[in-house]
Amino acid sequence: MEEGTAAMKNAQAKIEFRNVSKTFIQKETQKVHVLNDINLSVYENEFLVILGPGQSGKTTLLRIAGGLERPSTGEVTLDGREITDPGPDRSMVFQTYSLFPWRTVLGNVEAGLRFKGVTRKKRREIAKKYIELVGLNGFETAFPHQLSGGMKQRVGIARAYANKPVVLLLDEPFGQLDAQTRMLMEKEIIRIWEEEKGTVVFVTNNIDEAIYLADRIVILEGKLPGKISGEYKVNLPRPREHTDIEFLKLRKEIFNSTELIL
Amino acid sequence: MASQTGTTTIPNRRQPPRRLIKVLFSAFGNRYFLYTLSVVMFLTFWDLAAVQKILGNFLPRPIEVLSQLMSLNTEPLASKTLFEHLWASIHRVLIGWAIGVSIAVPLGIFMGLNPYVRAIVKPVFDLLKPMPPISWISLSILWFGLGEESKVFIIAIGSFVPCILNSYNGIRLIDPALYDAARMLGASRRQEIVEVGFFASAPAIFAGLQISLSIAWSCVLAAELVGSRSGMGFIIILGMNQSSPALIIAGMVVIAITACLISVGMDRLENIVCPWKRELPQ
Repeated sequence: MEEGTAAMKNAQAKIEFRNVSKTFIQKETQKVHVLNDINLSVYENEFLVILGPGQSGKTTLLRIAGGLERPSTGEVTLDGREITDPGPDRSMVFQTYSLFPWRTVLGNVEAGLRFKGVTRKKRREIAKKYIELVGLNGFETAFPHQLSGGMKQRVGIARAYANKPVVLLLDEPFGQLDAQTRMLMEKEIIRIWEEEKGTVVFVTNNIDEAIYLADRIVILEGKLPGKISGEYKVNLPRPREHTDIEFLKLRKEIFNSTELIL
Repeated sequence: MASQTGTTTIPNRRQPPRRLIKVLFSAFGNRYFLYTLSVVMFLTFWDLAAVQKILGNFLPRPIEVLSQLMSLNTEPLASKTLFEHLWASIHRVLIGWAIGVSIAVPLGIFMGLNPYVRAIVKPVFDLLKPMPPISWISLSILWFGLGEESKVFIIAIGSFVPCILNSYNGIRLIDPALYDAARMLGASRRQEIVEVGFFASAPAIFAGLQISLSIAWSCVLAAELVGSRSGMGFIIILGMNQSSPALIIAGMVVIAITACLISVGMDRLENIVCPWKRELPQ
């Protein structure tokens, strides 16, 4: 499946990781080498999935793209400009939802617009649109604690999109959901992405989820420091079927080629 | 049941007692019945103990306490009625608590936000923290005399400690993921502190206000016991000096009811101010 990657090379790179390494210093002296020499391009309007087991540095990679962490060496650029800080051009959806518990659904979805200083009327209008997009009409005045896990993550997705990001970063967003809700949300994120378009980087430890969602899958090796150990182009038409023969073939290929237990 | 299908000549004698047991069981299963029973039993034993003079001559009967409460409304003590005494105590609590809280909350917040403020304030605070506020009474009387100031001082000290602790921990223990979320949405440092810091610590700060208010309430009594011509503590001391246990217990009942009303009021207020509170961990 390597020929697909070559075709992508012609597309414009949105985010580029160049020789990115990351070392955390714990307790003053102890060093943890999390990422080693990552070179990776994320192309415009691509749905890229970073697939790796726990402790492979995949979340750190995403946080570096978000600007929440700085790389120890190397650099990350977005449209050619180096990423040094978080900014509203990138939105993140978190595994633990990280909704503001003191805000209603509407208040959460509006949050980024409020920070930007968008007028109340305008941001209400935008927020309503994204609440509708994620299918939460009628829940505008609910607080996060009144929602189920799947609904919370819908709010997280709406909040991320309402900021009109250039790149959407998702950090194991469905990791805390039960299997049924998870599959439903995978379907939903594809539906929303097909409507909104844009570049998506999605981190997961689940092969099925990766194949179901991705245009391209990048494998992170399972021991620290994490490094890229493989890449797969997924050419299956959407909507995909988990039991489709091509789907299963690719699943087997990824499963066999990586010596990791995912 | 069985009697309806069987022969009719033998009446079912077992039914009436069974029904009685059923009624008893359902009564004992009813919690309001049990509540009433508990209170009635308490008052009965109290009354018995008083009548039998188990605790000597100084345990009044409940009915005596009740009539003492009634007469307090009409016959002023030290030229003040019951409500004037109650108001004197509440007034002191409000002033002392307001002073303590308005210093402690900002200081706690700054300690949580800024490591330098923490490094300067925390060691001194840790020294003062374990001292019971009541242990300041003698000093405060020497400093401020027997007037209002010394009582307000004790209350302010008592309110200060739980308030600063809760504000500090409220800020310190905020989930860092919430800050991340705010930053990813484009919040400036100031917006981060206002949006995340303020709101996320609000329930903890509010809990500090609640705890300090109940401590302030016990401080005012202690201060009034030592030297005062008014307030609920004064009523209790007067009861002791006049060898009138009914007056003491009447004072204690009024104090309990007031404290209870205050805490219910604070709970209500919290639900209004922090309607999201249930979601926060712990």
